[in-house]
Amino acid sequence: MNKREKTRLFLTLLLLVGFTQAILASDETAADEAEQLFAVQVLPLLKTKCFGCHGDDPEGDLKGNLDVRNRAALLRGGESGKPSIVPGKAEKSLLVKAILWEDLEMPPKINDRLTAAQVTSVQQWIAAGAPWPDEKIIRRYQEEDRQRASTESVRVITSGGTTEEWTNRPYKRENLWALRPVQVSEPPSGADHPVDAFLQQRLAEKGLVAARPADRVTLIRRATYDLTGLPPSPEEVASFVSDQSDDAWMKVINRLLESPRYGEQWGRHWLDVVRYSDTSGYSNDFERSNAWRYRDYVVRSFNSDKPYDQFVTEQIAGDELDPDNPEMLIAVGFLRMGPWEHTGMSNEHSDRQNWLDDVTNSVGQAFLSTALRCCRCHDHKFDPIPTVDYYRFQAVFATTQLAERAVRFLDGENLDHFKEGKSRLFELWNQAKADVASLDAKETAAGKKWAEEKGIPFVPRTFQNSEVPEEQKPPRAIGLDHTEEGFRKVRKQDVRIWGRRLERYEPMAQSVYNGGNYYPKSIYLRMPEKPLQVNKAKEMPVTFVLDGGSLFAKKQKVDPGTPSSIPAGIVGSSNPATGPGHPIPTGFSGRRRQLAAWIANPDNPLATRSIVNRIWQYHFGQGIAANPNNFGATGARPTHPDLLDWLANRFVADGWSFKQMHRLVMTSAAYQRRSAHPDLARSMEVDPDNLLLAYFSPRRLAAEEIRDSMLAVSSELNMEVGGLPIHPEINLDEALRPRMIQFSLAPAYQPDRTPAQRNRRSVYVYRSRGLLDPMLNVFNQPQTEDSCERRDSSNITPQVFTLLNSDSSIDRSIAFAQRLEREAGSLSEQIELAFQLVYQRRPQRSELKLLKQHYLQMVIHHLQTPPRRKVPPIHLDRSLVEELSGRVFSYKERLDVYEDYQHHVKPWDVTAATRAMADLCLILVNSNEFIYVY
Amino acid sequence: MSHFGQTGIARRQFLYGLGSSIGAVALSSMLQASPTPGTVARLSARAKACIFLCMEGGPSQMDTFDPKPKLNAMHLKSFTEDNENLALARRGNRRMIGSPFQFRPVGDSGIQMCEHFEHLAGVADDLCIYHGCQADAVDHPSALYHLNTGNRFGGDPAIGSWVNYGLGSENENLPGYIVLSELAFPQGGSGNWSNGFLPAAYQGTPLRASGTPILDLSPPAWKTRRHQRKNLDLLNQMNRRHQHQHPGHDDLDARIENYELAFRMQAEVPGLLDLGQESQQTLAAYGLDNPKTESFGRRCLYARRMIEMGVRFVQVFSGGWDSHDYIERAHRERIYSVDKPVTALIQDLKTRGLLDETLIVWTGEFGRTPDNQLRGGGVAVGRDHNADAMVIMMAGGGVKAGHTVGATDEIGNTAVEVVHPMKDFHVTLLRLLGLDDNKLTYFHGGRFKQLSQTGGEVIKELIA
Repeated sequence: MNKREKTRLFLTLLLLVGFTQAILASDETAADEAEQLFAVQVLPLLKTKCFGCHGDDPEGDLKGNLDVRNRAALLRGGESGKPSIVPGKAEKSLLVKAILWEDLEMPPKINDRLTAAQVTSVQQWIAAGAPWPDEKIIRRYQEEDRQRASTESVRVITSGGTTEEWTNRPYKRENLWALRPVQVSEPPSGADHPVDAFLQQRLAEKGLVAARPADRVTLIRRATYDLTGLPPSPEEVASFVSDQSDDAWMKVINRLLESPRYGEQWGRHWLDVVRYSDTSGYSNDFERSNAWRYRDYVVRSFNSDKPYDQFVTEQIAGDELDPDNPEMLIAVGFLRMGPWEHTGMSNEHSDRQNWLDDVTNSVGQAFLSTALRCCRCHDHKFDPIPTVDYYRFQAVFATTQLAERAVRFLDGENLDHFKEGKSRLFELWNQAKADVASLDAKETAAGKKWAEEKGIPFVPRTFQNSEVPEEQKPPRAIGLDHTEEGFRKVRKQDVRIWGRRLERYEPMAQSVYNGGNYYPKSIYLRMPEKPLQVNKAKEMPVTFVLDGGSLFAKKQKVDPGTPSSIPAGIVGSSNPATGPGHPIPTGFSGRRRQLAAWIANPDNPLATRSIVNRIWQYHFGQGIAANPNNFGATGARPTHPDLLDWLANRFVADGWSFKQMHRLVMTSAAYQRRSAHPDLARSMEVDPDNLLLAYFSPRRLAAEEIRDSMLAVSSELNMEVGGLPIHPEINLDEALRPRMIQFSLAPAYQPDRTPAQRNRRSVYVYRSRGLLDPMLNVFNQPQTEDSCERRDSSNITPQVFTLLNSDSSIDRSIAFAQRLEREAGSLSEQIELAFQLVYQRRPQRSELKLLKQHYLQMVIHHLQTPPRRKVPPIHLDRSLVEELSGRVFSYKERLDVYEDYQHHVKPWDVTAATRAMADLCLILVNSNEFIYVY
Repeated sequence: MSHFGQTGIARRQFLYGLGSSIGAVALSSMLQASPTPGTVARLSARAKACIFLCMEGGPSQMDTFDPKPKLNAMHLKSFTEDNENLALARRGNRRMIGSPFQFRPVGDSGIQMCEHFEHLAGVADDLCIYHGCQADAVDHPSALYHLNTGNRFGGDPAIGSWVNYGLGSENENLPGYIVLSELAFPQGGSGNWSNGFLPAAYQGTPLRASGTPILDLSPPAWKTRRHQRKNLDLLNQMNRRHQHQHPGHDDLDARIENYELAFRMQAEVPGLLDLGQESQQTLAAYGLDNPKTESFGRRCLYARRMIEMGVRFVQVFSGGWDSHDYIERAHRERIYSVDKPVTALIQDLKTRGLLDETLIVWTGEFGRTPDNQLRGGGVAVGRDHNADAMVIMMAGGGVKAGHTVGATDEIGNTAVEVVHPMKDFHVTLLRLLGLDDNKLTYFHGGRFKQLSQTGGEVIKELIA
C-alpha cells in the first residue's frame, strides 16, 4: 500500500459529519431549524455540561434545586425562584447569563466552560422559542446529522467509548493532525535547502524577510553549545573563522558530531524525557544502584548514532529481543525510570497499578507524544482515545515485572573508581552493622538479666514470639535509653542504605522480566530463578478496565492492544476498528516486542513526527509543534505541518539517523541566521514569538551547560566518560541538611574526595529525587516526577545568589583566575584570554580599561579584607524526634569523605591579586553575554 | 508595599524571582489562556494570608480532639485483619488500642480536647475542629504530597504556590511562600513545596532558622557589601553594553533587574529572622524559654513576623507524630511541643488584629487507626496510618470559630459525618482566602490544572 492509498484509507475510516447550522437546507421551517439546533447542538451540551449536577446525580441531588432535564423544569427554574429560560428572550434567561459567566458562572470549572459558539447556539435556541421536541424527533435529527457529510468535522472509529455520545462525537479535522499518515510532499521552490524552502513559504505569506546570516563566531558558539553543551575553545573559533574552504561549516558540524561530548549533550535531552534518576523517590528514596548503566547506554546510543527505531525497540523490549545481551537488559531500564516504591506501609495491588499507570503514560509521552494519563479514569475529553484503549495499552505491560537482574559488565563500560568506592562503602556498611549488633547485644543481656531475676526462661522479642504473652518477655528495648533506641533504628536503616549502595559495583541492572505478579517489596526486587514456575508468579495477570481508574471498580477484561484511533497499515497493528494486523500476543512474552515494532514503524505517524519534532526543538528552542509530549487537541498545532512531515519521511529514509538530521537542520539558512531581526518592530507585530523563524531565537544556557562551561573555562573540567554517578560539591548547608526517610534520616550528601571526580560533566551527576542540587535546580533542571518536554528558562532571583555567592562559583572563579595567570602574561593579556574563553571575542579597548581599573580597586579591597579559612566538618551532630518516645535524641554522623579530602584551591590559598582577578572572572560568568547563546 | 493587580505582567517580572521566559511560546500562550498572576477575581473573604502548621507523621484524632470511650473499653482486644486492600502493615493479628489520655470539654463552645492541650484550651472558642476529612494515601510521602499539593504522586504546585499565584505578592522583596521545616526536611523533601508547573517564582522558599536564611543569600564575609556593590556596578555596565547590541531581547532586562533585587534582598531578608525587637514576654509566650517548645515556638513566631511583612503563605512543619508505639509518651511530648506555641500564635495575631485576616490550619497528612499491629515482638501501644479518619484544627481567617464539625464512628476508624475528601478541604482553604479553585487554574499538559485536580466542593460547615 503506498502513501496515497493509506491516506485514502484513513479518510474512508472517518465518517464525515456536518454539524453546523450553515448547511441546513433553506426550505426547512424556522421551527424545524430550532428543533434541529436543539437536538444536534444544545441537548448534547446540556447533557455533557449540566446534567451532572442538575439532573443525573444517582442520589437525586440537584444543585441549586435546579433540574435541566426537560423544558418544564427549565421554565420552573431553581432555588432563585426565577425561570432558567424565557422562551424568545435569550437575554432575559438565567441560563444564558450563567453560561456567559455573568452573575452565575456555569459550568463552574474553566475546563468545562462553553465556547463562544456554544453559547451562541443556546442563545439562538432560546430566541427561537426554546423548543424541546420528543425523543423520537431528537433521535431523527441526530441521526441525520451523523449521516451528513462535511469537510469541517470528522468522526473517528475507535474501539468505542463508555457512552454513545463519546463514540459518535465529531472531531475538528485540524485536531487530528498527528494521527494522519505522514504526508509525502516535495519542498516548495524558492530556496536551495529543503528546510528553508518550507520556512520561506510561510515567511513570504506574512511578508517577513529573514535575518541575515550570523557571523562565524556566533555560529560556532551556537553549534558547539547545541551539539556538545560546552563553549568552543579559542583555537576552534580561530580555525573556523579563518577557514576559507566551502565546507568549513560542515567540517565544524562533523567534528562536533564525532566528539564524545555530543552523546553527553543529546543523551541529556533524552534523560529529561524519560525522567532519569538514581533514586526511587517516596519514603525511602532508595538507591537505584545501577541506574547509571542505563544513563551510559543512552549516551552510547547517541554517540554511535544508533538508529532511532532500534533505540525505541531496545528500551521497550530489549529483554525480549535478546535476553543474553547485557545491553538489552540495561536498555529496558527505561521502564524503571519513574518514581516508584513498594513497602510494608503501602498496598501491593495499588503500588503495582501505580507502576502500570506510570509506564503506560510514560511510553505514550516519550514515543508517541500522546498523554494517556487522562484516559485512566474516563474516555479522553479531547482526543479519540477511549478508556478501554488505555487499558489495552496497559495490558501490554501486565506481564512485565520489575527486578534488579544480574547483567555482566560490557567492555565499554567505565568501571574505574570501583575499588576505592567499594572499600569505602564496605567500611561504612560494616560500621553500621557493628553498631546495631552491639546495641542488640546490650538489649539481649539486659533481657536475660530481667528473665533471670524473674526466674523465667528468656524469650527474646522476635517477630516469631509476637503472640507470647507480654509478661513472659522482657520489655521493649530493655537496657537501652531513648537515645540508644533511636540510634539503633537509624543504624538499621544505614545498614540497608549502604548495603543497597554497595550494589552499584555489582554486575546488575535495574531491569525487567516477564512473569506473573509476585509483589516483592522494592528493596528486595529480584527475579525469581524460574519466574514462571514460582508459585505466586505463575498466574497470568489479567487486565481489566477500571471504572474511574479505581482498582475496586473492575469492569470488562481486555487483551493487550494499541490505540484504535491510529490507522491500520502499520505492521503489528492490532486494532479491532481498523483491521486485525498482527495482534499483540496474550502470553507472558512478546507483548512489548510487538508494541515496540508497532511504535518503531515508518508508518506510525505519531512516533516519527514525535522524534523529529523533539530534534527540531532542541536545535531551535521550540518544536514545530510546541508541545512535544502532547500532539493531541490541547497541544499546540504545528506551525509548519508540511515541513514536519517532510522531515519525518526524511528521517526514516536516512535510516532513523539523528546525526543525519542534525546535519540537515544545521546546514539550513534558518539555523545560521542572526539572532535579531532587521526590522524589529515589524517582526514583533507579525510574529512576536518568532514561530516563523525569521531570526534565530537566543536561548539561556541550561543548568548543566552553565556548570560545565564554568568548569571548562577554568580548565578544571574532567572529560572522563560514563561510570558511577559523580558527586560534585553542592551548597554545604543543603548537603548536610537532615532529610527524613522512612524510620530515619538519610545520610548526609558528601562530595567525591578528589577534584578530578567532582569536576566531571553534569550529565554524570548523581540525581536524587529527595535531594536536588540547588544550583542546577534554580536554573530549571527539571524534577523527575514527570517527563520534561521542554526546559523552562526562567529568570529568578535565587539564581543570582547561587551564581554570585556560592562556594562553587567562587571556587570556579579562583581556578579561572589561576588559569589566566598561568597561561597569559600581562594583565591585559589575561583579560583578553578570559574574554576569548567566555565570550569567544576580544575585549574592546574601553572594556579593557574598565576591567583593569576594577581589578586594581579590587586588589586593594582584598588586601584589606583577607578571607578566613573555612573547612567542612568531619562529624555532624544529628538530632531527630524519636517517634516512639516523642523526644528528641542526638547522635553523631561521621562524614568520612572530609577526613581525607582534597579541596579545590580556596580563596585563602591565593593572593589578593588572584582574588581580584577572580572577581573579574566571576563577573564574566554572571554576565548576560555568557548566559545567553545567540 | 503592594503593586499587584494594577500593574500587569511587565511590572511583575521583577517581583521576587518572577522572571520571564525565553522563547516565549509557552509563556505567551499560557498568559493568553491563564489569568495573569494576582489578577484572578478575588471572592469576598476575610483571610489574606495563611499559616499552615503541618504535623508530619499523622497526629492521632482519638488522642487529641476526638475522644472514643467505646474504643477505650475495647483496649487490647485482639482480632485478625485480612482485607487485601489495606497496606501490608495493617493486616494480620491486631489489637484495639484505647487512648491513654483524659478528655474534657473546654471553652464556652465545649470543644473536646485531650488533657495535654493545657494552653490551647484557653483559645478553644477561636478554634474550628473538623472530623470529616478523608485522605487517600497511607504512606507518608504520598500522603504529604496529597495534603500539600493535591496530587499524591507529587510534581504539582503546592497550596502555597497556588495561593501566591492567585493573590500575588504583598512585598516585592520577599518570597511570598516561605517554608519553616523541622530539624529535617519531611519525607518527600522539597516536592512538598514545589511550584510544579507554575512559574519557578512560586516555589516555596525554605528558610533556615540559623546561618543564612536563604541558600547563598550573602557573599562570604571577606566580600563586603561595598565590594559586592562595586562588582555589581561593573556587571551592570557590561550587561548594559551587551543589551545595547541585542535590542528586543527582553530577558536581558529581567536578568539585570534580578541582580538589583538580589542586592536589596541581602539587606532585607535577615531582618525576618531577627527577634531582637520582640519582648521577653512574647518570647516566653511562644515557649522560646523552654527547650521542649523552643523549636516550634520560634518558627511560629517567625511565621507571625512574616505575615506582618506581607508573606502570603507560611508553612511550619512539626515532625515525629508517627506514633506506632508508646503513644502515651510520644503523643504527650508532641502535643506539649506545639500546645503553647500554637496558642501564642493565635493570641498574638488576635492582639495585633491580624487573626481575622490570617487563616491558621493545623493538620497531619492522615489520621491514625483505632487498632495496632504487633511490633517489636509483641503488643505495641500505638497506632498505624489511617486515611479514612483524621482531625484538622483551624483558626482565624473566616472559619467557624468555636465549632466542632463532622464526626468519626464510635471507635474513630472512619469519618461518618460531614465526610469530605481532602480535595474538598483544599477547595475550602482556597475559598477562605477568597479564591475559587475552579477559576484558579493554569493551562498545562493540555488542560487547565487546579489544586483539587478535578474540582471539589466547599465544605460550607467550616466557614463562618
